[in-house]
Amino acid sequence: MPYVEVNRAACTGCGVCVETCPPDVLRLDQENKAFMAYPEDCQGCFVCQWDCKFAALKVHVR
Amino acid sequence: MLKEIDTDVLVIGGGIAGAFAAYRARASGARVLLVDRSYFGRSGCSALASGVYPSYMPGDKVEDWINGLGAGPLVNQALLVKSLPVMYEHLMTMDRWGVKWLKEGKQIVRMGAPGRTFKNGVWMTEGGPQMMMAVRAGVLESGVEVLNRVAVTQLLTSDGKLPTEGQVIGATGFNVRSGEIYAIHAKATVMCTGPYKFPYPWPGSTLGYMPVDLSGDGIAMMLQAGAELSRLELGGINLNPDNLLCAPGLESLMPSGAKFVDKNGRRFLADYDPKRMEMTSRALLYFAVAHQKESGKIPSMDLREISFERLELLKKAIPIVISSYEGLGLDITKETVPYSYQVAGTAGIFGAGARISERGETSVPGLFAGGTCTDLAYLPGGHLPFCSVTGHWAGETAGAYSAEAQPDPLVPRQVEQALRDIEAPLKRPDRVRYAPVHRRLGELVMEKVGLVLRGDRLQTALDELLALRDDEVSRLYARDPHELAKVWGLMHYTRVLEATLRAYLYRTESRVAFIREDYPVIDNVNWVKMVIVQKHKGSLKLWDEPLPESFHVVPVRPTQHMHLVFRQSEGAHAVR
Repeated sequence: MPYVEVNRAACTGCGVCVETCPPDVLRLDQENKAFMAYPEDCQGCFVCQWDCKFAALKVHVR
Repeated sequence: MLKEIDTDVLVIGGGIAGAFAAYRARASGARVLLVDRSYFGRSGCSALASGVYPSYMPGDKVEDWINGLGAGPLVNQALLVKSLPVMYEHLMTMDRWGVKWLKEGKQIVRMGAPGRTFKNGVWMTEGGPQMMMAVRAGVLESGVEVLNRVAVTQLLTSDGKLPTEGQVIGATGFNVRSGEIYAIHAKATVMCTGPYKFPYPWPGSTLGYMPVDLSGDGIAMMLQAGAELSRLELGGINLNPDNLLCAPGLESLMPSGAKFVDKNGRRFLADYDPKRMEMTSRALLYFAVAHQKESGKIPSMDLREISFERLELLKKAIPIVISSYEGLGLDITKETVPYSYQVAGTAGIFGAGARISERGETSVPGLFAGGTCTDLAYLPGGHLPFCSVTGHWAGETAGAYSAEAQPDPLVPRQVEQALRDIEAPLKRPDRVRYAPVHRRLGELVMEKVGLVLRGDRLQTALDELLALRDDEVSRLYARDPHELAKVWGLMHYTRVLEATLRAYLYRTESRVAFIREDYPVIDNVNWVKMVIVQKHKGSLKLWDEPLPESFHVVPVRPTQHMHLVFRQSEGAHAVR
């Protein structure tokens, strides 16, 4: 399954990825960091990696 | 909690078709609401498209477009000609909105694409995501209102019935995060929800999930409302690298020197189109790769001979595709990229879905449609320009329609039932879960439908689908609004798949990537026809209609000849 690796140090909690993720996979956790709330729905489309201005997200597809 | 909204034009779907539909409807002075299940500018296929807007440009020869697209006799060539200047208008509109094209001086850089006999590809410097965000900004600036993360579940009608004998007057839906429910009353409704396709797991593949945004919802809702669908059987197949769902880009990669090879490194396109090889028609390219996969020859894309300079350019133009390859852990300068295919969908070759007029009207009053949830008014389909053009036509017509329309109020009984239906999966006690049902549907498509079709297998697939629908899909449980959207997607997909399988059974010939082992002849004597599917009372009705001669700029020759697959020597019949 594809998955999104979150660099918690780099994530600023801006929420852009949560806003734009097409299959609605991402949310912010209690510490305001992005995480995969619905990992089974990640389609490996790279939109979050593309949209993150802080290079905090990296998509892996295997 | 129910939220009621009133608008002039409701546009459902925020890809490039929905964007231009909304923009054109707004230009007519209408109040426009665009509803997107994801996020306008990021959802669906357009943002993930390969950064190529293969537009007509002044000076192109019209005949080149007709011949170069490999459009074939089932295309309304006259309409294709009519769509060309609109594409160019859109190119200029998007330029104004800030889409960053790759330019040399002031000239937009163009390149060839598969099946094209002329250079008609257009590249963006920053790819599909940049393009759609610029389009989004342009559309928002025009005054279009947007509702993100709302999944539409059904259309509402003036007589409260589905299918309707009246007109479409809006839709219901819910927010996929909060669960808030909407009833939207509209004078005109434009469906731009894109294609459908079903990714399923290959042995050894991790691809076993369904994208929540390619489940054919709009096509299913239009069918339920009584709209005629067409070309479902010709929707075709899709290609993607193994384990990837979203990696288009063939139109940039092939002209850049990418090649398809089998496990022995042989360029197998030589067996399909020795003259044009990888620059063959899109339909044949897709089919050849799928055919190789089915025959166990492990097709893969070889990018190793692409120059360094071109690869750097591709990283700008199709960043998501190149990222995907890197994400697979592949070094594309040293390794080839294995490819798979999906059947029974409509994202690949032809447009398939609601039958629309040249003005974007469906067969139901008040309901308009554009893009790949339609038959694209018999255009070749699949490309962004055809989506933007049909969206434009639908939006323009819907805007004019809404100015005259005096729609009936919503029918309370229908709205109440729709709300109960929306929430039903959240309340089901026996808890049939999504994942195993989804997997069984995938297996059904892979095992019983496949690439090369046969009547008896199709009938078995249809029987099993109907049993699955009645026993399991209709009893699916959703644990939260997010999963509710997936459940609704699967319910809609099941309806579209049923219509597709029936259309498969109806067309008794082979054509393009529609291959029937039991009817191997391309039959231009009897089958220059559209197959139409419509819901009539409780069941689906199918019939065929010949294409008018006025469609054909290049006359159709009444030939009958064996499909290429069955003409090939060894191997072809071994499939399935």
